[in-house]
Amino acid sequence: MNEMIFPGDLVADHEQHIPGCYTENGKTYAATLALRQNDHVVPLKGQYVPRVGEEVVGIVTDERFSGYTLELNSPYEGDLSTRETREELKLGAVVACKILAVNEVKMATLVEPHPLPEAILVKMEAVKVPRLIGRNGSMLDVIQKHTQSQITVGKNGYVAISGGDTKLAVDVVEKIERESHVPGLTDRVTKMLEHKSGEMHG
Amino acid sequence: MVEKEDLFKNGKRWDGRTPTDLRTPLAITAGVLKRAQGSAMIEWGKNKVLAAVYGPREVFPKHLADPAKAIINARYIMAPFSGLDDHGRSGPNRRSIEISKVAKHVFENAILVEQFPKTMIDVYMEVLQSDGGTRVSAITAASVALADAGIPMRDLPVGMSAGKVGDAMLLDLDKYEDNLGDSDIPTVILPRTGEILLSQMDGMLSKKDVNDAFDLMFENAKFVREKQLQALRDRYEKVEAQVQGENA
Amino acid sequence: MILDQVKKNFIQQKIQDGEREDGRGFFDYRPIRIQKGFVPNAEGSCLAQIGDTKVLCGVKFDVMAPFADRPEEGVFMTNAEFAPLAHPDFHPGPPNEDSIELARVVDRGIRSAELLDVKNMFLEEGKVLGLFVDLYILDHEGNLMDTAALAAMGALLDTKVPKYEGGKIVRNEFLGPLKLSDTVVTTSFERIGSQIIVDAAPAEETASSGRLTLGTADGDLICATQKSGRAGITRPQYDEMMDVAFQKHGELADALKG
Repeated sequence: MNEMIFPGDLVADHEQHIPGCYTENGKTYAATLALRQNDHVVPLKGQYVPRVGEEVVGIVTDERFSGYTLELNSPYEGDLSTRETREELKLGAVVACKILAVNEVKMATLVEPHPLPEAILVKMEAVKVPRLIGRNGSMLDVIQKHTQSQITVGKNGYVAISGGDTKLAVDVVEKIERESHVPGLTDRVTKMLEHKSGEMHG
Repeated sequence: MVEKEDLFKNGKRWDGRTPTDLRTPLAITAGVLKRAQGSAMIEWGKNKVLAAVYGPREVFPKHLADPAKAIINARYIMAPFSGLDDHGRSGPNRRSIEISKVAKHVFENAILVEQFPKTMIDVYMEVLQSDGGTRVSAITAASVALADAGIPMRDLPVGMSAGKVGDAMLLDLDKYEDNLGDSDIPTVILPRTGEILLSQMDGMLSKKDVNDAFDLMFENAKFVREKQLQALRDRYEKVEAQVQGENA
Repeated sequence: MILDQVKKNFIQQKIQDGEREDGRGFFDYRPIRIQKGFVPNAEGSCLAQIGDTKVLCGVKFDVMAPFADRPEEGVFMTNAEFAPLAHPDFHPGPPNEDSIELARVVDRGIRSAELLDVKNMFLEEGKVLGLFVDLYILDHEGNLMDTAALAAMGALLDTKVPKYEGGKIVRNEFLGPLKLSDTVVTTSFERIGSQIIVDAAPAEETASSGRLTLGTADGDLICATQKSGRAGITRPQYDEMMDVAFQKHGELADALKG
């Protein structure tokens, strides 16, 4: 395991804007539990806060005159205008969207909705989403290839899985969330996929 | 039954500690509750306190929401069976309401509340067994629960107490030293900046006494901080050990 | 209040420039006025004013059962009422965290300094005197804590011990003044930016990031402290505040004598 750092630990002698860190008096400190990897700080924990341009997966929790409210695995909700969708969405529907704008109090305006009616929804720590995706999407490709599942990953930590070996896909996502801080993750995931998908098909 | 004369004799305290010894055990475990977003259990001497954190989440009641920052709801409370004396009354009393208020101020300082406008962070501290110094035990545990929950913070606040028994300044008072002694100085320190976030002393103390007490507490805060960090590290190291076991 | 909020930036800037809104020095109190015996029906009373802030304290005795663990000691209790007439944000209802904190800090100072001889409040087997200190906030124009502590001390200085006969208190007949061992006052500091001030006015309280109250007894002793609000206090700041508090103790004690 890489060196673990804690709130208050010095990260840099100068001000640097890094996720999971804060600056004070010209220096940068860790704000959450994180791993120090060479020059990188990889947070282990942290709530999702909506950011413009990100793809998220949300759950419809309310319908109002002008649109839908989506829960985003975050303290902040998303707002999807009825103009964005020709389809009628039901309460509880799982929808992938893009964040068009975020206002002063962090409420997100959502666009380009893609309902995922058949999907199983898995929740993971939002800061660990990059590990599920992997470098240039490599991890996600491997998982989709072996499971034959369609996996939609929201930056907010909601992962929608449909088709193929959904049980295996869910297990792998949970494994990544649990073990992302232990070196050798890619190898272990590949081994699990080969072993388990082999079990099923042969 | 411990009497006042027994508290400090020939350089030793009634339980065998030196003036600068912390109580044992001082054990913190992070992530002890499944449902809470972050949690920690502390055993400090005979104290047992459970802390849990929820949030940031929607503010309840809604009108309390602050568009500039997250508001903190801190609740320190003692279970009616926690003390050695009679069955206490359930629910908050005047003492616990005051402690909850100053604990809230500690977390308002440590948490980067500006990152989460219009939300609320709940910090619950339940004293299950009490033996003196419960508020500082509770805040020490709650700091770990907050880190475990992924709430961004400037540092982990460390709770400490000291107090005078006769002429001796003693670190980390237990129940008898607190009740029968001459003063009690519960303090919360932010180790990185050396700021005092909570100070609620009673007793009759000179300026020198106060500074002696602070010296003792600041000196030993590092040790408590290390226990906090180890609790958090353990959570991740446990998974690592397990993974290595599976792959061995 | 929203007006105080608007003033906040202005105050912070001024303080940074070395000035207070009303021209006082950082460690100056507003004028203090003490009126003992304001409510003659009470066994002791005092209306204390710091600037326009007004706190009335009334002291009453009752016969009561002692606490089980202290069967031969009188009982002393402090309560604070934030009367709705004192501030637009005060509302009727049970004590909230602010009024509880205020009462408990005042109480802590008096108790720690052993101001009262509680052993002298024993009446007979199973009966002791209960002494009730009630703090009424009447006008909140900043620094409630120090005004309340002054009102309590003033009321205790005014208190006469009533006669006890046939298991009852005889009202309006007195054995003599209540014996007090000390003078207890508080000095509250607010931190605005990096500056520390005493006796904050309302807008200054809004601009403040936190408060430290130091309760002092005669002879340069600290008898209670309370850190409140978000700000942290460094040790050099704490040190300076202790020095100032000992100095202010003399001024406040003098005001109580008048």
